[in-house]
Amino acid sequence: MSKYFEVRWHGRGGQGTVTGAKSLAEAVQGTGKCVSAFPDYGPERRGAPVRAFDRFSDSRIRIHTPVLSPDVVMIVDTTLIGGKGLVEGAGESTIFVVNTERNAAETKELLSLTTQPVYTVPANSISYRLFKREIPNSAMMGAFARACPEVISLEALVAEAEKIFAHILAADLVGKNIEAIKCGYDEVQTA
Amino acid sequence: MPETRAITGNGAIAEAMRQIAPDVVAAFPITPSTQIIEDFAGFVADGKVDTELITVESEHSAMSACIGASAAGGRVMTATSANGLALMWEMLYVAAGMRQPILVAVVNRALSAPINIHCDHGDSMGARDAGWIQIYAENNQQAYDNMIMAPAIAGHADVRLPLMVCLDGFIISHSIETMQLEEDRQVQAFIGEHKAFHSLLDTANPSSWGALDLHDYYIEHKKAQQVAMANAKPVIEEVSERFGKEFGRRYELFESYRLDDAERVVVAINSVAGELKEVIDELRDEGEKVGLLKIRVFRPFPYAEIAAALKNSKIVTVLDRSTSMGAYGPLFVEICSSLYDANPRPMLYSRTFGLGGRELLLDDIRDLFEESKRYLNEGKIEKTSDFLNVRGG
Amino acid sequence: MSEKYGLKNWQELALGGVITDGGNAADYETGTWRTWRPLWRQESCINCLRCWVFCPEGAFVLKDGKTPAGKDRKEIKQIDYYYCRGCGLCVRECPVNKKGKKKAIEFVREET
Repeated sequence: MSKYFEVRWHGRGGQGTVTGAKSLAEAVQGTGKCVSAFPDYGPERRGAPVRAFDRFSDSRIRIHTPVLSPDVVMIVDTTLIGGKGLVEGAGESTIFVVNTERNAAETKELLSLTTQPVYTVPANSISYRLFKREIPNSAMMGAFARACPEVISLEALVAEAEKIFAHILAADLVGKNIEAIKCGYDEVQTA
Repeated sequence: MPETRAITGNGAIAEAMRQIAPDVVAAFPITPSTQIIEDFAGFVADGKVDTELITVESEHSAMSACIGASAAGGRVMTATSANGLALMWEMLYVAAGMRQPILVAVVNRALSAPINIHCDHGDSMGARDAGWIQIYAENNQQAYDNMIMAPAIAGHADVRLPLMVCLDGFIISHSIETMQLEEDRQVQAFIGEHKAFHSLLDTANPSSWGALDLHDYYIEHKKAQQVAMANAKPVIEEVSERFGKEFGRRYELFESYRLDDAERVVVAINSVAGELKEVIDELRDEGEKVGLLKIRVFRPFPYAEIAAALKNSKIVTVLDRSTSMGAYGPLFVEICSSLYDANPRPMLYSRTFGLGGRELLLDDIRDLFEESKRYLNEGKIEKTSDFLNVRGG
Repeated sequence: MSEKYGLKNWQELALGGVITDGGNAADYETGTWRTWRPLWRQESCINCLRCWVFCPEGAFVLKDGKTPAGKDRKEIKQIDYYYCRGCGLCVRECPVNKKGKKKAIEFVREET
């Protein structure tokens, strides 16, 4: 991995995008890497576009600036597509992980991407299936592990997530979130 | 066992507070410091700490309750930001004048108006004359470490002054970073017992606090405070050294980063030091003699030590993350004072950045070093004082 | 400076200005501030003790006594001129004085 592996999340206030970025960082931290994760707070209202960032590194992370040229872009809400900033700073091999019911090829076209790999995951329907509501984070994390196995394997993600969720969730919800991670991993499509 | 964890700056401060286990915390939460009190309230509710948590109706009351609890002989802490610190203003001076070692985590945030919740140092810099020791942190680890060191510094018999641990709002407070949390028992042994010098609850030995003190005595009390501040400097060094021996992380009054042979130096406070170090490493690889002096202790200000550290520099750029309306930035003024007697004296100029959370990116820092290179080559500074990254120039 | 005025140096002060000797108001000889002197007249006094209540310096000294009906009570013994600073509050508050015929507390200018 280059000096810093950088992830930029795009979501809407209330969808747990910031929590997603933080949980992913905690999981990666558990594998022995140095991590940082931080939100880009705006008006902090439900529905407003929000961004959050992750940095992973083998050595200590010193910088706190927003991620400008991401290795991975996580799009938690497809209604953001077409808005500004989603593809900003993306390089030729920047990976896009998108929560959508659309297929990967169509999503790639919608984002006007060419060389960049696109991974789609129906994280909302996975979440409905398991929780009867829309909390796409865990499935998104699973999709991330599928897209970036060199950062974290599914096995490591599940092991770390169990520890992280055990601190904040009841036992049945821990199990369901682990299930969501696995579904997210399994139901990825690529283009 | 020490534990490596990825937690937010606020979470790290809350953990330090849990380990310090103060007798009383009186607080009125305010963004971006809110999570400190939320987490700490959780520790109290879960019985992890035996602290009396007083939820008050304003920050003025928070500090007032802290002062009362401190006068009662307790170890006392709170946390605040920006407008909250401003509302404490009157009581900050009371705590300092009464020589109470109250500890406050100040999560730096811009002051209104217009209203803004993001980072700058206008809040704690405004309180720099209040008689509080001020220690600043670059990242989560340093914020935590400074807080662990705070009780031993503030409560030292030669010091007995209140202390602020300052960390950048959102940039540090809301970022999770990999850091090391030390073991409870080891931290508690390091901190030691809290010694109150009088207690209002000790009815066998009654004491009066805050008595009238006019022109016959007030200035003597202020002189005593000034001497206590001077005493704080060696105490901070001593406690920092002990901390280094105990936990392996070494701290001084300020951090010298690649400073020894540096011709062009930036002086800065808090999280921006991380970005500066990153760019300095790159420029060093290109053969540029650049370095950083990062302020850790702003009050008491280490004038002589800084002058010595900057003696080889040819040009010094001072980055202030706050501004004093109608005057130069507070850090710039102190650096100028430090270097007044230096011979030869380096070229000096001031740049204000980041007010209300405006970003300073790595490219901006490269530009900053380009500018200092040009000034040095030309032997002339274009603008002694200016804002960075402001539209309209 | 301290020698001249008998005040303490900064090194000698209690930390934070805390006062630990309770009741130290008794150390102040406020009697030297007096330019007018209240004179208590036992023969007119009804021992209502209003002067004792109102005196800001606690200069009225009490003693044990009896009511005309023989019940125990406190009575004025004297004014302690070490503390009386001559503010005149007792003179104004005295109900005997207010009736106007005779005075229980007279107020006279201090002789130089």
